[in-house]
Amino acid sequence: MILTPKIVARLIFVGLFGVLLQLTFFSQVELFHVSPDVLPALVVSLGLLGGTMTGAVSGFAIGFLLDCLLIQPLGGASLVLIAVGYAAGTFRERFEIHSRFVAPLLCALLTFAAELGFGAVEAMFGIHTDVSILVLRDMLIKSVFAFFLGWAIYAGLRRLVRPALVDEATVRRTRRPTVLGA
Amino acid sequence: MYRKQVRRRRAVLALLIVGSFALLTLTYGQGSNGLQRGVTAVFAPVSTVLDRALKPARDLINWVDETFDARGKNHRLEEELQVARKEAVGGKVALAENEEFRGLLKLDRSGAIPSGYRPVTGRVIGLSPTVWFSDVMIDVGSGDGVKPHDPVIDPDGLIGQVTAVTGGTAKVMLLSDHSSAIGVKVVPTGTLGIVKPTVGEPETLVLSFLNSDKNVHKRQAVVTSGWSGEGIESRFPPNIPVGEITKASLIVQEAQEKVNVRPYADLRNIGTVQVLTGGSRK
Repeated sequence: MILTPKIVARLIFVGLFGVLLQLTFFSQVELFHVSPDVLPALVVSLGLLGGTMTGAVSGFAIGFLLDCLLIQPLGGASLVLIAVGYAAGTFRERFEIHSRFVAPLLCALLTFAAELGFGAVEAMFGIHTDVSILVLRDMLIKSVFAFFLGWAIYAGLRRLVRPALVDEATVRRTRRPTVLGA
Repeated sequence: MYRKQVRRRRAVLALLIVGSFALLTLTYGQGSNGLQRGVTAVFAPVSTVLDRALKPARDLINWVDETFDARGKNHRLEEELQVARKEAVGGKVALAENEEFRGLLKLDRSGAIPSGYRPVTGRVIGLSPTVWFSDVMIDVGSGDGVKPHDPVIDPDGLIGQVTAVTGGTAKVMLLSDHSSAIGVKVVPTGTLGIVKPTVGEPETLVLSFLNSDKNVHKRQAVVTSGWSGEGIESRFPPNIPVGEITKASLIVQEAQEKVNVRPYADLRNIGTVQVLTGGSRK
């Protein structure tokens, strides 16, 4: 991804809007008794489109804003989302797999990993009560939601940052000119 | 060139990770810091506007969920049950400790606000997204008289306590948060205990007994104990409805001194809450 000031401004807007939408909408709706978590999917999409650095930096920033707005110890969510963004970016840089299922599958997988990560950060400071096995059910359903939401988020983000995408530019350059009357 | 790029990436990644750990170390255990207060002050109005704008869409999705769950079908009956439950809890408590609860007859609509407390009504403007934290953000803060450790209720009963405040917002730790522990008593037996949550099951609290000489039974009400003694006292005023006992086998009571409690408040679907400000408790 070619990061021009315009693209950076768009990414900042996406991050802010994503966090606010998560707190005011997605966290407050329930399907099958589980609320979707779109933030890991958002970070995965950014990592897939921009690579490791974009993924890690956006993960840090989104996590930081989330912790600020929820008045939680700063750094916990950042730590998890850095890992998620970096993993998505690494996937993009190491593997040449072009399938429409890559983004949603990665969103689902890394959302599950992120939920485990949030649990690990919490466990680091001590969990003072019983943990039900139903936590796993919640994580799995969140991952399923992330699969479908990740699809939409990735497509939307790709459209939003299209001018900055290197592969898109290549496709545009190599596209055959239209010959009238041919 | 490529190596240089890789080294730079690794350096940025290391910086971000070290920065996260440093922030975590510096801010863990603090209520709220200046940065968080500033950020929430900036974004709270935006959150409030978004929250109101998105309410119809949220309600629609939650309605679908509730329809699946068949909860929407008996809405009228649930309302009647809520009224009956409040009356029943108030009655049992009054029977058990008539003197102490005379003031409860003048309570607010929930029948649970003790005298000396001023309820401040707030709306939920944000919820934590993971299953590991059970915190909500509300749109009232220190400017409205809200302080850390103030009890928070909704029309069904206790939902948690304030853990951090900024000028216009407050963070509420719900009963279902893993670090929550509330001193309670069972009415009418008076059995004292501590209610703790089970992570992943917001509809199940575990009541561990402090004195277990009396057995408790299914459907008995659990209210805050509001104990005090030797210079310390509970942060919650007494007799706020918490929940009802759902599972109380004698064997488990004898062996583990625990029973399951279902909170009266629907902790997954909180809209408007009341913070009990003032009062003499510290």
